[in-house]
Amino acid sequence: MKSDSFKVAAAAAVAAILVTVWYFRDVEPAPWSDEEIVLLQSLWIENLPDVPADPTNAVADDPQAAAFGQRLFLDARLSANGAVSCATCHQPARHFTDGLPKGTAIGTSKRNTPSIVGAAYSPWLYWDGRRDSQWAQALSPLEDPEEHGTDRRHVLDVIAADGDYRAAYEALFGPLPDLSVADEVTIDTAFANVGKAIAAFERTVLPTASRFDRYVAAVVTRDRESQRTLFSDDEVRGLRLFIGEANCMQCHNGPLLTNNEFHNTGVLSAVGEIPDKGRATGIVEVMQDPFNCQGSYSDDADHVCPELEFARSGPELIGAVRTPSLRNLEGTEPFMHKGQIATLAAVLEHYNEAPDAMIGHNEAEPLGLDGSELRQLEAFLGTLTAPYTGLGTRPGAT
Amino acid sequence: MFRLATSCCLLFILATLLMTDSSARAHGGVVEEDDLCVIKVNFLRAHFKIYQPRVSGHEQFCEDLPVASESVFVMEYQHDSLSIMPIDFRIIRDVTGKGRFARMEDVIEIPDLDDATVFYQPAMLEPDVYTVVHEFAEEGDFIGIVSATHPDSNKVYAAVFPFEVGFTGWGYWPFIICLLVLIQVQYLVMSGRIRRWLTPAAAVASCLLLLPLSASADGLVVTYSTPDGPVEINRMHSWVLHVESTSGEPVTGAAIEVEGGMPAHDHGLPTRPRVTREIGGGDYQLDGVRFHMGGYWEMHVTITTDAGTETVVIPLQL
Repeated sequence: MKSDSFKVAAAAAVAAILVTVWYFRDVEPAPWSDEEIVLLQSLWIENLPDVPADPTNAVADDPQAAAFGQRLFLDARLSANGAVSCATCHQPARHFTDGLPKGTAIGTSKRNTPSIVGAAYSPWLYWDGRRDSQWAQALSPLEDPEEHGTDRRHVLDVIAADGDYRAAYEALFGPLPDLSVADEVTIDTAFANVGKAIAAFERTVLPTASRFDRYVAAVVTRDRESQRTLFSDDEVRGLRLFIGEANCMQCHNGPLLTNNEFHNTGVLSAVGEIPDKGRATGIVEVMQDPFNCQGSYSDDADHVCPELEFARSGPELIGAVRTPSLRNLEGTEPFMHKGQIATLAAVLEHYNEAPDAMIGHNEAEPLGLDGSELRQLEAFLGTLTAPYTGLGTRPGAT
Repeated sequence: MFRLATSCCLLFILATLLMTDSSARAHGGVVEEDDLCVIKVNFLRAHFKIYQPRVSGHEQFCEDLPVASESVFVMEYQHDSLSIMPIDFRIIRDVTGKGRFARMEDVIEIPDLDDATVFYQPAMLEPDVYTVVHEFAEEGDFIGIVSATHPDSNKVYAAVFPFEVGFTGWGYWPFIICLLVLIQVQYLVMSGRIRRWLTPAAAVASCLLLLPLSASADGLVVTYSTPDGPVEINRMHSWVLHVESTSGEPVTGAAIEVEGGMPAHDHGLPTRPRVTREIGGGDYQLDGVRFHMGGYWEMHVTITTDAGTETVVIPLQL
């Protein structure tokens, strides 16, 4: 009798193990539904529209201006110590970021260096949106004591003294003013032109097709074989979470995986600093910027500035910062506006918990995902990397 | 055993509540109200919380702090007038000898305030929320002093709050254990693990309008059209609002204001759209509309005419 009950127990145990193994077996992810395919296509680089026009910059799409701007972008003479260029922090090899918590130039800048890949699509620049065009943004680091640490007169001196630069400038904008007699408005106009040339280059820095985009192409053509080659099961599961349960697409939507808007997601303050007020101060600053769309240095004579005109301000923007693109995260850690979070895994954990914000209100809700789901999301985010194909080309044009 | 522990906890919580009776510090200070910590600077009030982000992450403290560490003090104003008052913030070692019973009167009597000061943030104007950060070098008893100066009358409003850095003794342990249990329970509820299994997966939204293009209140019907094509997210566009009475009469000459937002996310539109012109025949041009995420949105159209004011809610599924 005793050995019988032992056998029954043993059989039950074996059955339990088999059921468990069956339950957790590696099931291939389900095929995409039509609704899911619509969402996948909304993230597809093929659906990225042309770079929006910038009427405030007359040379925005001038190839000569872009070539001049590219040289300025890489030129360390435009700094107080002759060692800092735009590319010091916006390193082309690192997707135009620097892999540091905060930008390090003459000193340490206030926030994490944002990528400029696809920045031409954003109505606002900087984490707090304190500039409203790429050219107005490009001027600001030149005169920031912690960044290039120089001033507009020095920048114009460098251009005046370099034969090539002078020729390039004058071909685009007319004679370079004589700084010894020029008034402030003339100098500011010439300085704004420098920003417009740099912006013309930056507008050519665009994302290219990543493995994810090739995968979506395979989904659209129902090419199951290519889908299996391109994406692992974990990446597929991560993508399904991304467009569904993990709510990522509330902010990381569209082919750039950003809505370029401002959100408070309750990230802790950086070491030794008070919490960042973000957009609440950025909106005040952009309204006062003399180089903004409504200012006299804009090339749009009509001053049509819907972004400034309809911009929102108020307490709900406290602690809100601009959603970054999720393309090309690889090698750009640490993340968030002050580089507070060291790894992508930790960022995902943060969103999974969605703790109360130190200031303002965290818009995110706790997700309740488990560890393996977070790893799947992380795996998916790794598929969004595509190398920048080199300076001076229009990578998006292919 | 469990019941005994629960009873102990309840007794302890009751005792704690009695000890922190708000009337004890009516002249200005930090009190707990409805689970919120409030600082009263005379009649001006602000939510008050302290973080130790390096050691306690997002945990909030009301007064006492567990260890000497980087501490971020946050005051979120409940009173708009604090936004226009320069506020200064001082932390001194408790040299009054009165510990948690120290009041403004005791602070005024301190002969050399600067000598006792461990942190001072000179007066600054900070709209909506005021924050300072201080790294405590040592544990002990401290007093925080917040003063706000009215820009017109130059009247100074002040609050004094004594607090301790580094808990002493073990008297807090039963409370902490109860708290940990509560936090754990709250975590299980808040993490969504339970809810996740209870609620069906949300329907996948597409960028198509699924709801009718009109809405009505008591006496008015508002319809809208989008001359720039269907509504897409992340693109600024215009609407044409058509307002008519329930009997079909177009409403002209109305003043129209539009607010919008996502009720589920507790946030508004990313822009502030405005009616820029009246087209005629009950049509009004609404410019500056942009939605920045898919999901359920509401547009609240407030129409003011000679007959009065009405608000019509237009639902949108994006």
